[in-house]
Amino acid sequence: MRIRNFWAAILIALPLAFMLAFFLVPFLVTVVASFHDGEGEWTLANYAKIVADSYYPGIFYTTFKLSLIATIVSFLIGYPIAYYIVNMVKTRAVRRLCYVLVIMPLFTSNIVRSFGWLILLGRQGLVNQTLVALGIIERPIPILFTEAAIIIGLAYILVPFMVLTISSILQTIDRSLVEASLDLGSSRLSTFFHVTLPLSLPGVIGGSLIVFTLAVSAYVVPAIMSGGRVVVMAMPIFDNYATLFDFNFGAALAVGLLVVTLILIALYLLFIERSSRRRIARQA
Amino acid sequence: MASFIDVRNLTKRYGDYLALDDVSIQVAEGEFLALLGPSGCGKTTLLRSIAGFIDQLDGEISIDCRSMADLPPNRRPVNTVFQNYALFPHMTVAENVAYGPRRNGESRQAAAALAEESLSTVGMLDFGKRFPEQLSGGQQQRVALARAIANRPKVLLLDEPLGALDLKLRKQMQIELKSLQQSLGMTFIFVTHDQEEALVMADRIAVMEAGRIVQIGSGEDIYHTPASRYVADFIGDANLIACEVEAGGTLRAEGGSLSLPVGHTAGVGDKVTYLVRPEAISVSARKPAVSDDDVGLEAVVTDIVFVGNAVRIYLEAAGVSLVCQMPSSSRAVDFARGQTVHAAWRRDSGQVLAR
Repeated sequence: MRIRNFWAAILIALPLAFMLAFFLVPFLVTVVASFHDGEGEWTLANYAKIVADSYYPGIFYTTFKLSLIATIVSFLIGYPIAYYIVNMVKTRAVRRLCYVLVIMPLFTSNIVRSFGWLILLGRQGLVNQTLVALGIIERPIPILFTEAAIIIGLAYILVPFMVLTISSILQTIDRSLVEASLDLGSSRLSTFFHVTLPLSLPGVIGGSLIVFTLAVSAYVVPAIMSGGRVVVMAMPIFDNYATLFDFNFGAALAVGLLVVTLILIALYLLFIERSSRRRIARQA
Repeated sequence: MASFIDVRNLTKRYGDYLALDDVSIQVAEGEFLALLGPSGCGKTTLLRSIAGFIDQLDGEISIDCRSMADLPPNRRPVNTVFQNYALFPHMTVAENVAYGPRRNGESRQAAAALAEESLSTVGMLDFGKRFPEQLSGGQQQRVALARAIANRPKVLLLDEPLGALDLKLRKQMQIELKSLQQSLGMTFIFVTHDQEEALVMADRIAVMEAGRIVQIGSGEDIYHTPASRYVADFIGDANLIACEVEAGGTLRAEGGSLSLPVGHTAGVGDKVTYLVRPEAISVSARKPAVSDDDVGLEAVVTDIVFVGNAVRIYLEAAGVSLVCQMPSSSRAVDFARGQTVHAAWRRDSGQVLAR
């Protein structure tokens, strides 16, 4: 018994030590640094500087706005793909191929893929040429170096995460539930909205959390797609660490981003919890 | 006259495999029909065909003089109780039951009223606010039933709904289902592999084998005059003795020297199966008076098994094994292993079946 406890303790200690060394300690170092000035004295000046004028709050706003839109776009693109793979593809081999196609882009660097979009979205790029050829627009419109370009780039990079999370939940939905709904007189469309979609919500919630947090912390994609013309939080954080060597202010920006992100996620989960409780309460 | 449910020449292929092989069956309104057979015999495929879940089907199905050919499942006048109940886990019991009426255009209040009525029919009115996962298997089964009858379908299809329940609950539900069906006056088609379940509940039983209906009739008909060795074997216990017809009205058992004087004269030399039900055989220690209407033979007791309400006596007569069943209240069952006894049965309780 004693020996078993000993090994159990070792087994728990290893991942604990890993978390401590590579996650908790660096995190605490950052938090502590954010409360220090250049001389090593404790201070709140770094945080005061963030809210001193509207510059940084503006960047916060842009970051979260673009991340939210990118998340919604990823959901709108990712859900149909996940649904198609799980419910429409009949043969297992083709389904596997679909997953490979979804995951494949993740093997390429974000930088390379973003530069690909630069070519497509440029004034003489494929997108503008096609739109002009189709008569949808008269002359090429500026897409590149705008917020729209960032959203396109982020959604493109992040859709696979949405697809994988949602499809993993869609797979677990019992087929007979869909049959039962059809059997009870529900059309296919109404079955989707009353049975499949509500049951896949855990996947949607999980996927949107992953995509949102990745979008908030994205640096490479916004930097390339906007050409630096649109500023998101990752950029000043990077600049303070890498070019200004102001580790304390950089840390404050990073911690600020983390805290606001966590608050938004908490509000999101609270909202879901509330609406499901309201639904039950309505029954009572 | 067209029947209420008319299934004609239904055939379903999966590659080379024939799940349904030219199945035709007519069901009357208000009838309780059981589709009985082992797994893979096509009974569930037939049920799902009627529900509308099977594509690329040859043949015709009509219900109440209306062809079901181009109707998707949601527009057919049938509802199904699924084998695993298929209750919606994200809805309460009341929402589950109100789902059908609601999707069929009833107002929220009307659907709730219909749901309440259905739930009280199955005795689950107090459970409306619970979620399916908070219910026992038997309770879920009742909710599934309530949900399926909430639409007031013309036909209720039940796919082994009692399979997951324990024996006692299953027996209770059999009686309840039967009386529910009678009080609703609804047509029930019930899939089961349990012959006892079929006998207890159904007005008629269709026995299926390899995608075909091999016999259809009342429980008594099928039990007493099975159409084939397969049916006899499937329904109830049976002594099935492989024989060859000899001249003079006797059957010679294969693998033994037993001759059965059963008065079967047709087709001398034919290979047949002789059927006699265990409860038709009486066993006695002393040689009984055997008339021309009886079959009597001497046998040795090989085993005696007490099964509660009955005693099974295993016999061997000239190389042929027989099983007899007598009420355990009978005092005449006090035999010992190895004892020589006399077995007898009336000729007309035995039957000669094609092999």
